[in-house]
Amino acid sequence: MENTNNLRLGVGDFIALTNQTLEYAYPTVEVEGEVASFKVNQGKYVFFDLKDEGGSVGCFMTVWQLRVPIEDGMKVIVTATPKLTQWGKFSLTVRVVRPSGEGSLKKSFELLRAKLEKEGLFANERKRPLPTVPKHVADISSTQAAGYADFIKIINDRWGGLQVDVGHVQVQGADAPDQIVQALKYFNSQENLPEVIVIIRGGGSADDLSAFNDELLVREIAASRIPTLVGVGHEVDISLADMAADVRAATPSNAAQILVPDKQEIIRQVQRQLGSVLPRVERVVAEEQAGVKRQLEHAFERIDSRYEQYFDGFSSLRRVIRELDPSKVLQRGYALIRGTIAEGSVIEIEKQDILITAEVRHVSKK
Amino acid sequence: MSAKNNPSIAEKTAKLNELIAWFDSDEFELEKALDRYSEAEKLAKEIEQDLLALKNNIQVVKDRFSEA
Repeated sequence: MENTNNLRLGVGDFIALTNQTLEYAYPTVEVEGEVASFKVNQGKYVFFDLKDEGGSVGCFMTVWQLRVPIEDGMKVIVTATPKLTQWGKFSLTVRVVRPSGEGSLKKSFELLRAKLEKEGLFANERKRPLPTVPKHVADISSTQAAGYADFIKIINDRWGGLQVDVGHVQVQGADAPDQIVQALKYFNSQENLPEVIVIIRGGGSADDLSAFNDELLVREIAASRIPTLVGVGHEVDISLADMAADVRAATPSNAAQILVPDKQEIIRQVQRQLGSVLPRVERVVAEEQAGVKRQLEHAFERIDSRYEQYFDGFSSLRRVIRELDPSKVLQRGYALIRGTIAEGSVIEIEKQDILITAEVRHVSKK
Repeated sequence: MSAKNNPSIAEKTAKLNELIAWFDSDEFELEKALDRYSEAEKLAKEIEQDLLALKNNIQVVKDRFSEA
């Protein structure tokens, strides 16, 4: 006999009750599987199956919700609500889909990279320089993350007088891209615009960092009217957010180093500048001294030359005087005659060593 | 206070560069060098003190961005 206590419902009510029950039991589920039969209808609606060795389930979402490229064969995790459609077909209404596993993450990364590269989002011509010494910056990161602590520590070690407006966001997980997008919009809409927006996140697994390969986020970074500096992960990690940024930092610490100068280095530079002046002054003093010395040497040379000239003149004069000395003439055998030269007169003849008195006997012309 | 009465670090650094450049310029005079050097030394000390005294102001201006 039929149990009259059984619940009897119309089809529509049954579907509504099932969905109500599903919503109560599983308001949101994450399901991991491989994509199959991926297709986009009318450029708006995305359909695919998610399958593994245990079965297959249909998935539905809109194109606008699809933030990373997927294709058949890729392993993904969907965040979805289970639903029974009015045609009695069970499906997952997907809100977020993200690649899972290294291979899928890489594949998705490459697909989106190629697409955005083609649009010119990563072109060098789009890159803007950051201010040399900013006074007001915005930082988008998780204030609980180690990367944020490193960033702030290095900023404080290197520089001062900086206004840092921090927007706290999740930096991993399904909600992270939207939160970062909202933070970017927030800072870009401020009346007192920061000079730079810094987006940072420390190291993590490829899955942790996948938030920074979200298409909307990458586009928002590229569209930011405030120049952006992005430092995500370790040196080896490259995200699409990095590539769209005006300046890429290898790590959050590196972002701090790029953002502000090092005051200790400036102090050392000032000391070096000051120190460089003394040798210059010493050089000029040495040049002046050398000039004075040269002039003195020249004066001495002139005095010496004049002295030699006078000395030479005096020596010649002495030689002449010496030659005129009558005793010198007598030494050479000549004789000095004194007295009147006339026949019969007596004269005195002086030789070098004798005096002769003689009488003049004859005088005639030669 | 006007910038003239309270010059910034950048202004002081520019002034220091100008003073240092004088030592290499044609305007250099040995008689004035000592005064210029003293001025540069004083400025360098001020820059160092200013740099060490400055502190950053870090503020979490918003901690919820979940709503569009």
